Amino acid sequence: MNCEEYWNEMAGPEPAESFDAHLAACPACAARWAAGHPVAAGLRLLAAEMKHVSAPPRVEAHLLRAYRERYRQRVPPAREVHRWWAAAAAVLLVAGALWIGVRQPPPPPVAANSGLAAAAASEEEEMFVPLPNAAGSPQDDDVDLVRVELPRSAVTALGMPANDDSDAESVEAEVLVGPDGIARAVRFLN
Amino acid sequence: MKPPESDHQLFERLRAGQEQAFVALYHRRQPALYRFALQMSGSPPIAEDITQEVFLALLRDECGYDPARGSVVAYLFGIARKLLLRQFERRRSDVPVDTGGAEEGRFAEPVDASDPLADLAARERVDALRRAVSSLPRRYREVVVLCDLEEVDYAEAAVALGCPIGTVRSRLHRARMMLAGKLRDERLRGASIPAWKAARCAI
Repeated sequence: MNCEEYWNEMAGPEPAESFDAHLAACPACAARWAAGHPVAAGLRLLAAEMKHVSAPPRVEAHLLRAYRERYRQRVPPAREVHRWWAAAAAVLLVAGALWIGVRQPPPPPVAANSGLAAAAASEEEEMFVPLPNAAGSPQDDDVDLVRVELPRSAVTALGMPANDDSDAESVEAEVLVGPDGIARAVRFLN
Repeated sequence: MKPPESDHQLFERLRAGQEQAFVALYHRRQPALYRFALQMSGSPPIAEDITQEVFLALLRDECGYDPARGSVVAYLFGIARKLLLRQFERRRSDVPVDTGGAEEGRFAEPVDASDPLADLAARERVDALRRAVSSLPRRYREVVVLCDLEEVDYAEAAVALGCPIGTVRSRLHRARMMLAGKLRDERLRGASIPAWKAARCAI
């Protein structure tokens, strides 16, 4: 393709497919093309003037609702990791607390204090049993609820009646873990 | 200083349920998409709908983004363009001033090489250009809006438009010639107005 053919084809209904090859081989046409048209400068002005134009805020609000609806069931990974650590810590701490608990008279089941009380009250009236090691822990509302499996002996160690009909060796429990990682109270689910 | 996350990284994170990534990608890419839809449709409500639908499609993964086929930007503009074409078909709202084959021969390389915007003040230049751009046939308008106004690079524009990069370049060049022709016509029409006004004032 020579220069004349190139520019003729540019003006034709079908653009040339060998456009790049000719531009690469012909500095004159490349310069002509790169120099562009006087309208290019005007287009830059128009672009600059329109830079501030964007969609109204309601579009973002609608999209965020749609996003949250779609991903509602998912837990952010950071939170998920935190939960796994909390669960592991809770098992260890509950086990430790129970080991201490067997050598002390078991406390009566009461609603846990402060933030725990609110959590306990909202959970279908089932009581959380405060763990002995949490007695001196600060009272706060920012507790995590972690579900764990504990040995059946943990039920009796806390003075709770064990279900003798069950053959299961472990029981499901929910543990309230404070922001310091210390388990505050436990509730057995079965 | 931590470099900003790429579009692809934000895309991966938003797909993992991280809302902040979705918001960041939206803020980064929404304005250009909205302006593209606005320039193509001439209608703010349609532009709003298109912008919303593009990001909803992204959420639902309706069009299957594949990094091997192009960037997130190209993907988003590609969806916007498809939605606009659907819109045009439905509403017949894309009514360019010059259509059909006649335009192909009309905007040959201009013999008059002078700047068609030379006589116009900056404000008039912008207004005249906006009118000229909106009157371009769709396939030329979209390449001007993408490459000249939104500064999307040619490779990404080619992916968004579904054509070879050479076609993008040639359409762009041709679109600029068409714009020059339209502006020259407008300048010739405008030149008679002051004379007419002067005659009227003299009476």
